[in-house]
Amino acid sequence: MKINYEFSDFKIYLRDWIRTFRGKLTVLCLIGFVLLPLTADSYIIGIFNTFMIFTVFAASWDFLAGFVGQVSFGHAIFLGIAGYVTAFTIRYLNFPWGLSLILGSVIAVLFGLIIGVPALRLKGPYLALGTLAMSLILYQLFLMGSLAILWENAFPGTILFGTDGIGQVPPISPNPSISYLVIFLIMCSSLIILTHLGKSKLGTIFKSIRDDETGAKASGINTTKYKILAFMISGFFAGIAGGLYTIRLSGVNPGNYQPLYSFYAIIMASVGGLATISGSVLGAFIFVFLGEILRLLGDNPNISDMFGGFTEPIFIFSVILILIIRFAEHGLLKPVLERLQEVWDLLLGR
Amino acid sequence: MEIKNLTKKFAGLTAVNDMSFEIHRGEFVGLIGPNGAGKTTIFNLISGIEKPTSGTIRFDGRDITGMATHKIVNLGLIRTFQLVRSFKFMTLLDNINVSCLSPRGKRIAKDYGIDEYSSTILASVGLIDKARLPPVILPHGDLRKLQIGKALGTNPQLLLLDEPFSGLSHEEAVAITDLIKSLHSDGVTVFVTGHVLRELMGLVPRVIAMHQGKFIADGPPKEVANNKIVLEAYLGRGGEFART
Repeated sequence: MKINYEFSDFKIYLRDWIRTFRGKLTVLCLIGFVLLPLTADSYIIGIFNTFMIFTVFAASWDFLAGFVGQVSFGHAIFLGIAGYVTAFTIRYLNFPWGLSLILGSVIAVLFGLIIGVPALRLKGPYLALGTLAMSLILYQLFLMGSLAILWENAFPGTILFGTDGIGQVPPISPNPSISYLVIFLIMCSSLIILTHLGKSKLGTIFKSIRDDETGAKASGINTTKYKILAFMISGFFAGIAGGLYTIRLSGVNPGNYQPLYSFYAIIMASVGGLATISGSVLGAFIFVFLGEILRLLGDNPNISDMFGGFTEPIFIFSVILILIIRFAEHGLLKPVLERLQEVWDLLLGR
Repeated sequence: MEIKNLTKKFAGLTAVNDMSFEIHRGEFVGLIGPNGAGKTTIFNLISGIEKPTSGTIRFDGRDITGMATHKIVNLGLIRTFQLVRSFKFMTLLDNINVSCLSPRGKRIAKDYGIDEYSSTILASVGLIDKARLPPVILPHGDLRKLQIGKALGTNPQLLLLDEPFSGLSHEEAVAITDLIKSLHSDGVTVFVTGHVLRELMGLVPRVIAMHQGKFIADGPPKEVANNKIVLEAYLGRGGEFART
């Protein structure tokens, strides 16, 4: 009887949700996503894949920073560790991609715990610095040629360290449309899970830590335990993104540990809107597509002559971020949704 | 609860100096002293927000000296703050939910449903009609009610109320007084601070007085009010005692 009650509850929830503007918009986008492979070429599909992977990455960071108030500057750690584990197990151990992905995330989370447990005792800027430092250490570690040689001698035929990283990782499926749809499903599941965790009673506890950690402790909440839990959840999804990213790029290299990737997550989540998982979608979309447009502009010799180095994506995004902090400090999601709704109402003649 | 030889020093200032007293289950006790006497520091020490320099605190037979705050709350000892704190970006209902989600609160709340249990608490402090609103819209008196509601979510045995009357209008103070009285009659042990004796005089049957970190008196309000040392401590603060 309880199962019936919950299912009809869910149907009502779904029906009410579709009635909202956001619901309709989301369904429209979902349909668009699913139809894309029929119409576009592999280049466009590739960009969408990157967009979807970055969405999960940004959402994982947003979950930790927006809901629990823990700002990590080291999310690249999860990207890198999961990437390496995924690449290694697919390439040298012939694991199926699904197993590799999950294994990559789990190991990324375990590693994250090793850093996280001491780091989470730090507050604010110190947590940020600690996580940043850790990602830099991993970057240098995996770059080390001496370790590369040591590893090759210990496990001949395999590579783990070194500047080249691990290459020749095959895609999810030889059919790019299938790979695309798999990534799409993974992205949707991840976003749904993260959103519902945020809205659940667990999310209430997380938000209390964000709003007033001492107050949460004074209400009987073991904040350390929940901060670690949030770190693990965030790390797991960042790891999924990391594994997928490695498969997308057919390989992984120490560059995945660069703080740059951590900053990407921060930019995407902040541009979209903190504590709104959907904001990550918007932020990642702007980031990936605008970045690609800028890259194309930069490659075009006429335009790059005119603008010099100013078409570098990271430069433009820094400027955008400053503008957003000044004019839309809660991110673009709400303003954009409001404008879209106005246009929609206009079209319907309201 | 038993406090023995409690001392807290902050770099040259002794905020609490060798205080000892006991509070028994079901009692209703006040703690008074002029501003800066060390009342909030004592509460901080008891609730685990600060660690004492020396001395012990026992609660319910257990030594809780220096224990983490959340663990103390889950043993049944909770305090409210002089400067009201709330979870600013959540609804009132969620504010109470947080306490109900603590291990101690959950034991009771889960049988009723967390939201339902929190609603009951909100109703008992008179804030149910604002359940879906954030704390930012509340006037000061309601914020104090919210604080007490949040404390109730953890099913407390001993409630420490830090200056619950400060900043309240007369009507608001009356509402809070009635709320506290009803809590006490429900069986909660209450330990209240205030720095004007008049507030506590009609409320509590027993008062502990402190000054500059030291214990000076313990007894029924009328007795303490006429205690020579207490009068000296308040000397220069004029008409307060004339009105009691």
